[in-house]
Amino acid sequence: MQGFRERYGAGPLHLLALLASLAVVAYALSRSLELTSNPERLLVWMGGSIVAHDFVLLPLYATLGVIAAVALLPSGGGSRLRIAALNHLRFPALASGLLLLVWYPLIGGPAERTFMRNSGLTKDVYLDRWIILSAALFALSAAVFALRYRGLRRGT
Amino acid sequence: MRLPDVGPFGEGFWRSPLRGPWLASVLSTVLLPLIAVCALTGFASHWAYDTDVGANAVWGGAAAGNGFDLYGFDWPASPPWLYAATQGLHVVTGVAAIPLLLAKLWTVIPKLFENPPLRSPAHALERLSLVFLVGGALFTFASGVINIQLWYPFGFSFVPAHYYGAIVMLAALLVHVGLKLPVMVAAFRQRGLTAPLREDLDHTEPEPGLPEFHTSAPHGAVAPTLTRRALLGGVGAASAGLALMTTGQVVGGPLADLAVLAPRGRGRGDGPNDFPVNKTFAAVNIPADKVGPDWRLLLHTPDERRAELTRDELLAMELVTAELPIACVEGWSTTQAWTGVRLSALARLAGVDEPRELDVRSMQPGGSLDRSTLNRGQVTHPDALLALRVNGADLSLDHGYPARIIVPALPGVKCTKWVGKLVFS
Repeated sequence: MQGFRERYGAGPLHLLALLASLAVVAYALSRSLELTSNPERLLVWMGGSIVAHDFVLLPLYATLGVIAAVALLPSGGGSRLRIAALNHLRFPALASGLLLLVWYPLIGGPAERTFMRNSGLTKDVYLDRWIILSAALFALSAAVFALRYRGLRRGT
Repeated sequence: MRLPDVGPFGEGFWRSPLRGPWLASVLSTVLLPLIAVCALTGFASHWAYDTDVGANAVWGGAAAGNGFDLYGFDWPASPPWLYAATQGLHVVTGVAAIPLLLAKLWTVIPKLFENPPLRSPAHALERLSLVFLVGGALFTFASGVINIQLWYPFGFSFVPAHYYGAIVMLAALLVHVGLKLPVMVAAFRQRGLTAPLREDLDHTEPEPGLPEFHTSAPHGAVAPTLTRRALLGGVGAASAGLALMTTGQVVGGPLADLAVLAPRGRGRGDGPNDFPVNKTFAAVNIPADKVGPDWRLLLHTPDERRAELTRDELLAMELVTAELPIACVEGWSTTQAWTGVRLSALARLAGVDEPRELDVRSMQPGGSLDRSTLNRGQVTHPDALLALRVNGADLSLDHGYPARIIVPALPGVKCTKWVGKLVFS
């Protein structure tokens, strides 16, 4: 038993649980590939979703965050006021970006033709609404920042 | 084998003081119930399609490839709001989980660049399983969100891909939860369940990590610019905001105004037929003369035609009005007052006193919705109607004129429009 642990790196239950799980994964993947048209495109989407998130989306927003922090905070950390300013910028920015990410097909327009045809709606409102909502989020955040401004100055 | 300490593989690369096992555990504690509800209601939707009945197979032809048909019993026809509730929950929990999933992935991203990348066969196997967990989760959520917005860029069939993608995710998730439970317990023991939420910025220290586990806690963190309370508050607000937006299109009424970006929050006006349409008449290519005065409803048994009715003859039968929601698989629903003839009355007219199944045929040419089979409970329910009117007016072409099916708790896509033929057996 101790020999197994040393060679494998964990107990036998660990191995059994993972093998069982991977067996179900293999079954589900093979079924989906068998049942769908263009199975190679399904694989591209599944693999691509990891690449798109881990190597594009996350580095993108993390880098933007670092740029904002470098621009606003002096090296070695900033005053409370500057830190608050950074946060009042990145919260609405993240919220607006999240809305774009989730509702991109409607906001960005790739779904427009099918959506209009199927729903019978005639006016595409989603891009306008996203812009208005984003502007409102930034404005709200700025207003709260203005209210906090005095207290934050005193705190430094 | 250790990789060179460059870029993300280096120890000092990931410097946020907020990352670590406590944050990951808190996010998982909220995320898990959402995924559980989303998964259960997703399987409920598969059940609601009654894929083993008649022509309902959703993929791969009759009897083959309908997923885990372990249900064995028919989807019920009451309460009438059942499918609106389960499918509404499915879409609301799914959309609300997205910010939590993204935050969780942000928290554990250093683990993707663990160094050494493979410590043992056990570690290698676990990391392989994580590829399927992350890939399955991102794919399932992304495909669902894209599908409810009626964008079909996949080039493959959505239903089996979303269904089996979810199973890939869940199989990997189950073992992940089992393996990480000790880490979660240790993290909560070390830092307290909620104590870190009370720290202000001056007291926000980097997570120390756990001695007996490899975690995402940082080495050489920078000074904090955010409290854990603010980070989790922001994620929670984003999740709640998205939930509210999608709830608007499920519940309707005054809440529909909250569905500012959700696809189905909008009606088309105040008229009796102005509630949302899934697929307009123009989108399905039915020749106009087929829905004109020459339209006849054909009543069949599997072997022969038993009757042929004009719309006026149908309107002269005993009419029933029922307030019923129609709930779409995309997660929106709308309750209207439908008037029509009971399906059981039409069954008797076809000479079938105790119908077991009803195969409904639309005049819609092709497509997956041109045909659906109702189970015994659905055909015999007193509120199961061939609707001719809605809210006191004739159905509009977009809502299925001359006649459509409306049955309590039946998924909207199976409430067939532009009905041409009913086959009772």
